Amino acid sequence: MPLIDPSVVDLSRLQFALTALYHFLFVPLTLGMTFLLAAMETVYVITGKQIYKDMTQFWGKLFAINFAIGVATGLTMEFEFGTNWSMYSHFVGDVFGTPLAIEGLMAFFMESTFIGLMFFGWDRLSRPGHLAVTYLTALGSNLSALWILVANGFMQNPQGASFNPDTMRMEFNSFLKLVFSEDAQAKFVHTSIAGFVTGALFVMGISAFYILRKQHRELAARSFRMAALFGIISSLAVVTLGDALGRLDYLVQPTKIAAIEGLWQDSAANGSAASAPWLLFALPDQAKQTNYAEIGVPYVLDPLIAHSFNTNIPGLISLEQQAGPRIAKGIVALNALQAYGKDHDAAALATFKANESDMGYGFLAQRYAPNQDLNLITPANQGAIIAQAEKDTIPNVPVTFWSFRIMMALGFFFVGLFAFAAFYSLKNQLERHPLLLKLCVWSIPLPILACEFGWITAEAGRQPWSVYGYLPTFQAASSHGLGYMVFSLIGFALLYSAFIAAELYLMFKFARLGPQPHHAAAPEATPAPMFATPAE
Amino acid sequence: MGKLFTFVGLGVVLALALLLAVVAGDYGPWYFAWIVGTVMIVLIAGCGAVMYDAQHENGTGEI
Ligand code: HEM
Repeated sequence: MPLIDPSVVDLSRLQFALTALYHFLFVPLTLGMTFLLAAMETVYVITGKQIYKDMTQFWGKLFAINFAIGVATGLTMEFEFGTNWSMYSHFVGDVFGTPLAIEGLMAFFMESTFIGLMFFGWDRLSRPGHLAVTYLTALGSNLSALWILVANGFMQNPQGASFNPDTMRMEFNSFLKLVFSEDAQAKFVHTSIAGFVTGALFVMGISAFYILRKQHRELAARSFRMAALFGIISSLAVVTLGDALGRLDYLVQPTKIAAIEGLWQDSAANGSAASAPWLLFALPDQAKQTNYAEIGVPYVLDPLIAHSFNTNIPGLISLEQQAGPRIAKGIVALNALQAYGKDHDAAALATFKANESDMGYGFLAQRYAPNQDLNLITPANQGAIIAQAEKDTIPNVPVTFWSFRIMMALGFFFVGLFAFAAFYSLKNQLERHPLLLKLCVWSIPLPILACEFGWITAEAGRQPWSVYGYLPTFQAASSHGLGYMVFSLIGFALLYSAFIAAELYLMFKFARLGPQPHHAAAPEATPAPMFATPAE
Repeated sequence: MGKLFTFVGLGVVLALALLLAVVAGDYGPWYFAWIVGTVMIVLIAGCGAVMYDAQHENGTGEI
């Protein structure tokens, strides 16, 4: 099979990265805001105080703007798998399609239905009924994320499927393994809670803006308090869960964790794994396989990554060398597979089975084989081909290293910000700290930035694979013409930029406008509290 | 009668929660942690609001 034009592959990657990153500008706010709305409405239902209903409705309006535009940006991505990644869809469609279909048919419909009830059901549903709807909306939006992350977890650490040499694709064999894969689980909690952080900072930041301007004080102070508490626990959780994700990467994606940490040499290269430094700063040089200007904290790397003091964490240079024998076995596997495809020869099948676990590595050699034909690899040229292919087994280190560090630094910044915010809110001293309030306003976009860098860490760090260890990215694309790719890329960029402009315009407009007085003409009678006597 | 229904209803929720804890705790510890953690985060945020109201019943009005 001839290889796809590398420029088309690069453009397909760029297009997917662009649409995914655009889409993810909207997703985290939805994930977090829904549960924050549920918390506000819970207080309304329990205490019966109108202010909490006003809060739920006001923040709900901002949430709705984000949701509507976010959905529009997400729809295209599911189609992109078919249009731009047809080889990928053929190879893993049997497995990958399942969580995507569940997302579309179950979670998304659940979310959309309940969102409708949430916005239009205030006067039609009982208070507990409406509260249940709000919780179901929150659950639905997070379940949507769950299925996408199950699919992505499969790309990071393929579980629940095996390769079928007769159909030449991976086939599903265990739904439970797919859904309960550690990668899917850890990714879901980290991403969902990252959304909680985003939602909390959004509400806290806009509330801080009102407090600074002495507008809507009742609503702003309560919203600030709730968001600060919501945010402090969420930000602590996102850091802890991030550590767990890192450890999982160490267990299943050694090249990714080594790139994240800029680890070229083994951690025990200087005699003791325990003393290996964790790098705060470095300028990784991919070509020379070294770092410049390293600033590190010794004795931290090993316990941080391996949760031990004497485990050697393999560096990128030895991981590259370890890939050599796997590439050699992969070549054998693919040649045997081709032979089996021709005449169903049992011996060829046996050879393939013996080398199957390294099949993906064989694909990496195809790029460098004469005429891109693995059959033309001979003992004479094999060494040079493998040496070239080895270099492709590690991801882009500077990108992975720095995107991880930005995400992580922001994570610790959020813990500090929410801690101060919660502290002064609990002491009712927020107005004495205008600088803190201003910082909250300016920090509103930062969690979204952290999420974007999180995705760059996860996906750039997974390269060269689209499915780790099985299918290289350059084999996964569709064979489009260059013109088509450039045209569609520009189209997407323009369309999505328009969506963002619309979102920003509407958000600024409605946030500046603030909560509108409800039922000004006929004030609603204060409803009876469910469990307590209102003190108003 | 209403109280009995509430009691039975909450009993069912408790039984389901225990079942979920046993099953999810074994197969999906992270999912389980997410459920427990999310409920906790929502409740603590809610408690913060109730506390705000209590503080401001006789407070100075400072926020
Ligand atoms: C100390 C703090 C943090 C650590 C140690 C950490 C760790 C990680 C790691 C290792 C990954 C890559 C996962 C993979 O291999 O697939 C990741 C991804 C990600 N992170 Fe973080 N993270 C931290 C903070 C944050 C914060 C503050 C946010 C956002 C508010 C965030 C959002 C994300 C997102 C959206 C992803 C991509 C999805 C995923 O892979 O789960 N992270 N994080």
